[in-house]
Amino acid sequence: MAPQQSIHALSVLAALLFAAACLPAPAAAGVHLSTLPKALAVTTSAKPGQVLHAGVDSVTVTWSLNTTEPAGAAAAYKNVKVKLCYAPASQKDRGWRNSNDDLSKDKACQFKVTQQAYAAAGGSPGTFPYVVARDVPSGSYYVRAYATDASGTEVAYGQTSPAAAFDVAGITGIHASLKVAAGVFSAFSVAALAFFFVVENRKKNK
Amino acid sequence: MAEGELKPAAMQVEAAEAASKPRFRMPVDSDNKATEFWIFSFARPHMSAFHLSWFSFFCCFLSTFAAPPLLPLIRDTLGLTATDIGSAGIASVSGAVFARVAMGTACDLVGPRLASASIILLTTPAVYCFAIIDSPSSFLLVRFFTGFSLASFVSTQFWMSSMFSSPKVGLANGVAGGWGNLGGGAVQLIMPLVFEAIGKIGSTPFTAWRVAFFIPGLLQTVSAIAVLAFGQDMPDGNYRKLHKSGDMHKDSFGNVLRHAVTNYRAWILALTYGYSFGVELAVDNIIAQYFYDRFGVKLSTAGFIAASFGMANIISRPGGGLMSDWLSSRFGMRGRLWGLWVVQTIGGVLCVVLGAVDYSFGTSVAVMILFSLFVQAACGLTFGIVPFVSRRSLGLISGMTGGGGNVGAVLTQLIFFHGSKYKTETGIKYMGLMIIACTLPITLIYFPQWGGMFVGPRPGATADDYYNREWTAHEREKGFNTASVRFAENSVREGGRSGSQSKHTTVPVESSPADV
Repeated sequence: MAPQQSIHALSVLAALLFAAACLPAPAAAGVHLSTLPKALAVTTSAKPGQVLHAGVDSVTVTWSLNTTEPAGAAAAYKNVKVKLCYAPASQKDRGWRNSNDDLSKDKACQFKVTQQAYAAAGGSPGTFPYVVARDVPSGSYYVRAYATDASGTEVAYGQTSPAAAFDVAGITGIHASLKVAAGVFSAFSVAALAFFFVVENRKKNK
Repeated sequence: MAEGELKPAAMQVEAAEAASKPRFRMPVDSDNKATEFWIFSFARPHMSAFHLSWFSFFCCFLSTFAAPPLLPLIRDTLGLTATDIGSAGIASVSGAVFARVAMGTACDLVGPRLASASIILLTTPAVYCFAIIDSPSSFLLVRFFTGFSLASFVSTQFWMSSMFSSPKVGLANGVAGGWGNLGGGAVQLIMPLVFEAIGKIGSTPFTAWRVAFFIPGLLQTVSAIAVLAFGQDMPDGNYRKLHKSGDMHKDSFGNVLRHAVTNYRAWILALTYGYSFGVELAVDNIIAQYFYDRFGVKLSTAGFIAASFGMANIISRPGGGLMSDWLSSRFGMRGRLWGLWVVQTIGGVLCVVLGAVDYSFGTSVAVMILFSLFVQAACGLTFGIVPFVSRRSLGLISGMTGGGGNVGAVLTQLIFFHGSKYKTETGIKYMGLMIIACTLPITLIYFPQWGGMFVGPRPGATADDYYNREWTAHEREKGFNTASVRFAENSVREGGRSGSQSKHTTVPVESSPADV
């Protein structure tokens, strides 16, 4: 009995180690933010400290070429990727939201606002009216826009000031039906216990 | 016998025998404890007690550790910081410190069936409340109250120690404890899957995780009701019936407490259990987040890895119990003690290695699995020893050991995994060093009748003396200690091969096992 069991145990162990060796490795490195020129000027319609409700309120994001850049630089920008980034106040003591110079490892900018063609018709600044998505959690945010070339690689960026962040009030996800269900099941559990105690006492006293 | 009534008197004697000796499907010793362990059987009362106890304990583990695999979502919904998460993790295992000790006493006084079902049903409201919390402080509170249900571990071990005899008690305790602990691993797989399924039905992420918590809650409620409806405390019946008929002496809390706290072995085992089981709990709380954040894998992959840590329990803890019983058959109690020390120390070494190999994903997973096997086997080996520390205060000592396990979990998380002071891989390394250090006290455990790790038994000391020491002469006269006497008889094989009849002693009911 014992040797057979240890053979089983060893084979399970071997299988687990083999599976562990075959698990997929994490992704490769990407573009570094410090190598990108800060060529875009980005603004939002939200005032610093303003509270936007997820799924309800909207904010308009505007991007254009920074006036310090030469006029023809925008010709290389095919598309723009705009993201919502956590402000430092929302990153504090939350290591899973840390900024990283390597954009493939950066976790500060997790929410996509839009990805569209860079240039608006007639040379006017690009804009996008963004309704704050329902899966954006509560916190302080600023907006960053990356200009990308034809292959989708970032070639320039711009952002609103992290110090002038606006706030988002996320949805809680609680519905009335959840409250009712929690209450009903809790009451049932306690009642079941009381029922059995009463039955036991009756048996004891008989 | 009445005169001239030979034939009816013989029938009366037979009937009396049949009434006082209930028939069991399994072979039993003089205490009616099973001497075999048929894992796939549901034979009442022994194996049915086993299945009820391990499954209800499994459900408690499901609830207590349902939050960690969903933390990447919960932390965003509630705006949790690393400190909030660490505090809640500590809270989840700290409630059970005191609850386990209280549960041990409750088992001694009212029996494992009522004690475990009560704590399980009273904590399920906390599980349902996960669905409606909306702040870091409410998150901490529900994790704290849900964690109380882990006290049902003590009733599991107590129940198995009441149902199974010395040759199988380590195995029974190990399988019941291990398959229960399995919940801590299974839930890391179940919760992400349930969450995804609910999301597919059409719920938004911030609602889906809330709905997912009803699964562990409902399982917990149902399993506790099953324990109440189908369980039985002792082979001979439930406590209330045995107390009433006088077959079992109703002990007092004061006596049970005194004989537990004055037994130094209970304190040592409580400390060392803190560094086998306590470490297992701490790792259950941090490992999914560690793999998710350190190696950038998907939530479901991190859950799968975390699950494999807990799921090793299916063989590792029972393996520890089996190893303890096997060592005992060859070397007696000294074998059990050596086995525990060696296995737990190797577990500590592997923990240090796990913290050191954080540069490689595949190696980390492989080392983690090896580490889980050893640390969980150590848990099984611990409860191969606990049933022998005391007979009178078995419940409270099981409770103290179990509570010590949770104290270890609290301390470890508080020192190494709270806030942003240490990187997780550094914390794991230091935790391994602490395991090695805190396992050394096992060398100090000594049983006069069986010996310790480095010292042999005292000549002339018997198990009878050791267990009857817990009763005063007055109590012994009144026969209150009959259970201890029977237990001493049946534990004679803990003296090793020189102290028992043969390697495969299953003490049959008819023979007198005291003279070997």
